[in-house]
Amino acid sequence: MAKHFTRKQVLAGSLPFVAAAPLAKLAWPSAAQGGERSATHMGHDHAQMGHAAMIGAEVPAPGGPHAQDAALLPPKPLPHEPGRVREYDLTALDHSIEVAQGIHFDAWSYNGSVPGPIIRATEDDLLRVNFTNGGSHPHTIHFHGIHPGEMDGVFETVPPGASFTYEFPARPAGMHLYHCHATPLKKHIHKGLYGAFIVDPAKPRARARELVMVMNGYDTDGDGENNFYTVNGRAFYYAKYPIRVKKGELIRIYLANLTEFDLINSFHLHGEFFRYYPTGSTDHYEYTDTVMLCQGERGILEIEFNNTGVFMFHAHQSEFAELGWMGFFDVRD
Amino acid sequence: MESASIAAKLGGARWRLWALLPIAALVGVVALFVSTGSSLLDLVGHNPPPQDKVDIRRVEFHRGEIKLKVTNPQRDDLTIAAVSVDDAIVPYRIDGDRTLGRLRSATIVVAYDWVPDDPVKVGVTSSRGIETTKEIAAAVESPSASARGFLGYGVIGFLVGILPVALGLAWLPSLRRASPQWLAAFMALTAGLLTFLALEALSEAFSLQASLPSGIGGVGLILLGVASTYLFLTVLSRRFSRGEGVVGGVALATLVAVGIGLHNLGEGLAIGTSFALGELALGSFFVVGFMVHNVTEGLGIATPIAERGKVSLGRLAALALIAGAPAIPGAWLGGFVTSDVLGVLFFAGAAGAALEVVVEVGRYVARKAPGGLGSGYVLGGYLAGIAVMYVTGLLI
Repeated sequence: MAKHFTRKQVLAGSLPFVAAAPLAKLAWPSAAQGGERSATHMGHDHAQMGHAAMIGAEVPAPGGPHAQDAALLPPKPLPHEPGRVREYDLTALDHSIEVAQGIHFDAWSYNGSVPGPIIRATEDDLLRVNFTNGGSHPHTIHFHGIHPGEMDGVFETVPPGASFTYEFPARPAGMHLYHCHATPLKKHIHKGLYGAFIVDPAKPRARARELVMVMNGYDTDGDGENNFYTVNGRAFYYAKYPIRVKKGELIRIYLANLTEFDLINSFHLHGEFFRYYPTGSTDHYEYTDTVMLCQGERGILEIEFNNTGVFMFHAHQSEFAELGWMGFFDVRD
Repeated sequence: MESASIAAKLGGARWRLWALLPIAALVGVVALFVSTGSSLLDLVGHNPPPQDKVDIRRVEFHRGEIKLKVTNPQRDDLTIAAVSVDDAIVPYRIDGDRTLGRLRSATIVVAYDWVPDDPVKVGVTSSRGIETTKEIAAAVESPSASARGFLGYGVIGFLVGILPVALGLAWLPSLRRASPQWLAAFMALTAGLLTFLALEALSEAFSLQASLPSGIGGVGLILLGVASTYLFLTVLSRRFSRGEGVVGGVALATLVAVGIGLHNLGEGLAIGTSFALGELALGSFFVVGFMVHNVTEGLGIATPIAERGKVSLGRLAALALIAGAPAIPGAWLGGFVTSDVLGVLFFAGAAGAALEVVVEVGRYVARKAPGGLGSGYVLGGYLAGIAVMYVTGLLI
């Protein structure tokens, strides 16, 4: 092959290689400049963005202004009266719920809402829960607290269409919870079969504005990871409808974590500290603004706001907050 | 036989009417099936729920906002209910209806303070809670359709398309002095490099179609692209050969140029798209690599001309444009509109064209080359063509 090419031809052949280098520079600097330009201009629009601005009517949250009242506001506590019967009817149901704006999840629930109804009793009341399984899978109710083994909701599986009555004295005092314990457990919990269970102490707690907050998550696409996180069942709900409270009044929050898949969840309050009573079963408390709970862990928070204004509360896992678990207190005089 | 006797009994017009019978019968059967509702399906079970996967076709980054172009690839309607950026739900605007029918598209705009050069994951969640995510390797400001961006992509297309082909054509005087055996070797080399380009384009088309939603039917798209350009070039070569049975000289060079041109259209599209999506750094090394790679394409066009008489400079320039210029509109399309469907079609078309030209070159070599297809020059040239493309391809 070599004899057919003269030196001149080889030089001509190498022309493209020589010419390429400076020409390539023509394309290169314009591309680099484009990148820099975007970097310097980014900052200007910053104030209009971010979740600090996610408050009020524009927030994508499902439901009207009182849609979560049943989950947020517990029934009134009753005075200590040993042997009194407190009766509740719970029915397991299969149905679709709107967990975030426009997003529907095929849930299993007690009485048609996730979380289920708040069960409240005073210490030494006889708690009677009439459970009917209206769903398409076997379910149970497992209460946290002190009770006989046959009332534990593990072995008495209730098939679809059947009923079972759980009956035991309510104790100990504190913030507890209940959930289905049928297998596969993970599925039965994350589908929505859980709720708050409050046992009031014999000596009543101080009068307060009482709220219940059950932290949960929803894996809407079935990949074993939560797509949304909420308190009381609807993503961003309290960002759209901030909770109105009074400055200086005692606010008591019964907080529980029923988030499936993730190891922990947390509660963080802006601009104020609170007393946190783990499980609400003793007088010991921690004075803090952030608590961390694993699944099934719960406690009681007592807050008195020293300032008026709008204060955020949210999971301090930023990801959970930005996937729906955030809200506001609107503190007024 | 029976049908033949029926045909005999029927007149010509009746026979044509008879041809409509299967279609009419099909319409009837379909209507009957639809009217039974789902009762027939109940015999075998239930339909699974819709997959609800969105096709996120394009993600653009502009100052203070991210723009998503999405398509519903499935038969059932799909309602967009939430949009996320890096696993955080974000407020968004959408042009038109949030419910998309089959193959309907929408543009979602998210006001977002994105960080240049960081990876970004965007997600679209349907009303059934199914989330589709797309990861962008690095967020870079998307070129807007400005005169400046137009010029930039034009220059890139010129650098990787027209220029190297034109430079490769400068080998023509040297080739003219080559002996018939060596010329045959270079013809075979042309066939080798075109085979390489065809396979490369085909593999590109297959990998692109794999990322398409199944509803779009990527493999059929590839076959359509390959078949249509192959047949188009077959017709073109029949015209050129004017009954000679074999195409040679400038006519064959034109076919080679068309094949290479279609390939460069796809290549320009790929460069434009990758750059717009932040998947590619348009460094000088990259551009130089492409130039070296494509310079051999010029050689491929020059070879068929070498053994025949004079050819005007204008003709040569036209050949360089046919082969190289498509890189420019390719880069524009890729940079400003990007569509994987278009990419699949372009690459498949390039493969079909290149394969057809390989056949033409093969025919020519078989008839005209000393020793025909079996000579050592031809076999060596063919393998050398593939090897040259492979080695220069490593530069990119």
